[in-house]
Amino acid sequence: MSLEALHLARGQFAMTAIFHILWPILTISLSAFLLVVETLWVKTNEVVWYRHARFWSKLLLLNFAVGVVSGIPMEFQFGTNWGPFSNFTGQFFGNILGFEGAMAFMLEAGFVGIMMLGWGRVPKGVHLFATAMVALGSTLSAFWIMVANSWMQTPAGVAVENGKLVVTSYMKAIFNPDMIWGVTHMWFAALETGLVVVAGISAYYLFKRRNPEFFVRSFKVALLLLAFIAPVQIWLGDSSGVDVFETQPAKGAAIEGHWETNAPGTGASWSLLAWPDKAKQGNDWSLEVPGMLSVLGTHSLHGQVKGLKDIPVADQPPMLPLLYYAFRAMAGIGFLFMVLAFWTIYVFRKTRGNMQALLDQKKLFLAWVLAIPLPYIAVECGWIVREVGRQPWVVYGLLRTEHAASAISPTAISGSMLMFAAFYVVLITSFFVFARRWLKNGPDLTLTPPAEPAPRTTQQAIEY
Amino acid sequence: MNAVTTQELLSNAWFGIIGLMLVFYVVTDGFDLGVGILTLFRRDESDRDVMIQSIGHVWDANETWLVALGGALFGAFPAAYSLLLTQLYVPVMLLIASLIMRGASIEFRHAAHRSKRVWDAVFGIGSLLTAICQGIVLGKVLTGLVPGVDSAAFIAITAIGVVSGYSLLGATWLIKKTTGAIEDASRRYATYAVFTTVIAAIVVSLGTVKITTVGVTRWDDVGVFHVLLALAVLAAAAFVYILYAIRMRGEHSPFIASMVLFVVSFAGLAISLFPYIVPGQLSIASAASDGTTLVFMLFGIGIVFPVMIGYNLFQYHLFRGKVVPIKH
Repeated sequence: MSLEALHLARGQFAMTAIFHILWPILTISLSAFLLVVETLWVKTNEVVWYRHARFWSKLLLLNFAVGVVSGIPMEFQFGTNWGPFSNFTGQFFGNILGFEGAMAFMLEAGFVGIMMLGWGRVPKGVHLFATAMVALGSTLSAFWIMVANSWMQTPAGVAVENGKLVVTSYMKAIFNPDMIWGVTHMWFAALETGLVVVAGISAYYLFKRRNPEFFVRSFKVALLLLAFIAPVQIWLGDSSGVDVFETQPAKGAAIEGHWETNAPGTGASWSLLAWPDKAKQGNDWSLEVPGMLSVLGTHSLHGQVKGLKDIPVADQPPMLPLLYYAFRAMAGIGFLFMVLAFWTIYVFRKTRGNMQALLDQKKLFLAWVLAIPLPYIAVECGWIVREVGRQPWVVYGLLRTEHAASAISPTAISGSMLMFAAFYVVLITSFFVFARRWLKNGPDLTLTPPAEPAPRTTQQAIEY
Repeated sequence: MNAVTTQELLSNAWFGIIGLMLVFYVVTDGFDLGVGILTLFRRDESDRDVMIQSIGHVWDANETWLVALGGALFGAFPAAYSLLLTQLYVPVMLLIASLIMRGASIEFRHAAHRSKRVWDAVFGIGSLLTAICQGIVLGKVLTGLVPGVDSAAFIAITAIGVVSGYSLLGATWLIKKTTGAIEDASRRYATYAVFTTVIAAIVVSLGTVKITTVGVTRWDDVGVFHVLLALAVLAAAAFVYILYAIRMRGEHSPFIASMVLFVVSFAGLAISLFPYIVPGQLSIASAASDGTTLVFMLFGIGIVFPVMIGYNLFQYHLFRGKVVPIKH
């Protein structure tokens, strides 16, 4: 197989994955947010929560459709472009993807119809259950996908016999060392995304003073959750970082531009900013804090952090500056969310129910509107760190990426890649056009909850 | 029982489960793809509204059978997953593209105003292309991925067969779910579609005997031919009954009989392929995962399978009845 085909296959995977992940992160969190809102409606019987449920579910529906269709190429690409990988890892990896399809994806799809179109056809309680199942389905989906991906990072519980992979312990393979951090860090990233989107869109209306009584509700719910989730996410990110230094030293060293292993009894120095250069096997320049990397990477003063120079060049990740700065962007955004959330909570306390005083906080609202793209950037950067940082391996230590690709002609790959790229442009453009219209129309404040359904509905009326 | 037979039992069980998932996929997504194809024949936007409304709540779950099927094949038969998708690169990529087109357009059309016509066209064409690509995949598998003029002709017929079969399911679904002019037109579409489906099925069967290894080897096995003959009789009965039910203005019976026709055809297909996944190239035994994996998957997927069917049926039950436009 040619090098060109390998690069194209990697490019295609990167493109598909970068595009796909934008949507499920919002589906996971927005369905969870809708579950909260709908529960509030069922508990308090306040119609405003019902209207919130109807308003935000329109955004979910638009987002959901693109998420579903962009996920299909992800699954089938393993077979088309990465045949040897599929053949080798199917015993575990394929099995887990099968679980995802059957347990999670189907649950989500089986109830999303009721969630979106079932108003008035089912009692309140059943509708709430459907919303809960969509939220559960999307979260389970993230769980299984992260189990599969974390196993590629730290493949435990398997053995290679005669070139064939066999699962020796499902317990160890599923609960591989990276799994707990991978699952939680990703799930919290998804939650943060939806909450920032809800906060940002609510802030947009508050900024414009359109329906402030309505949007102050969603803004507050999102912020109260974020004030808790943002700090936890920083802790999760830190813990998964420590895990990376232990299980994938090459990735750890690469994201920190760390070249020399520190001598025993000394701390490794940390570069705050640098430009790592693989050809030179060192940093072109760097701004260092002595001893700090041992503290960050091992949570001890003199913990040993392996430098890239002690890892064979053939086993070092590529594109070091990308890894280095993607990691910094992700971490920086994580901290920014915590600061923004705490600032907002402070403003809530200061204005204490005084609507006018709150609405005067224009800078705060503007900050949240501008924050809308940030969780997406952070998630993409996190995935770049995770996937590019694992190179040159596709399954760490077991299978090299160069041995994992199908023998497909470069023309076929570039052809399909161009076709998908064109589709993605159309999808994202249309999404923005429709989302903008949704934003302009705003919520319907005349909606009243449907009456409990008649016992036998035999006709399905069209709603316009 | 010794280890070899347990492995055989497990891999055959998985061949059966995946076959069942394929039947669910083909029947359920088949009718909504068929409805999509038939929207191409309706000029009025309000007609298309009714037709698309009739599948709006289920198309996504129907398509999910394909995702579940893909995952199950990947885990249980990694070698088949890898071989098939690599060899079928172009039709699979086009299939995915078509699924993207129709999946996005069915949701976007609701949000669209002026561009609704365009999204409807994309939805119809996407549905048609999806069916064609699936027909190509079927034809390629049956001909054992062997290229050639004969194979190409055979593949053209399987593509026509799948398009007509899905149109039949779609038309009979619309008979069940619509009223008035659309229902009447659907009875006409169903009549045409059942003829082209059956003709294509007969040609495919003859072609299978003539040009594929399936016809040459598998159909000669003891008992196989008799079973296939029995299935053919059943299919013929379903065919006659569909025509009768359409004429007698049956509401549900044409759809049920069409599903029977599909299930019977698929049973025939599964029996013909067994014990191969790709005839002459890859057997069930050599493609299967290790026993540990197959057992673990059986626990995971086997347990949720009935639950999946349960909530899918609930969804159908909830949205039962005909779609009736109400003018505001």
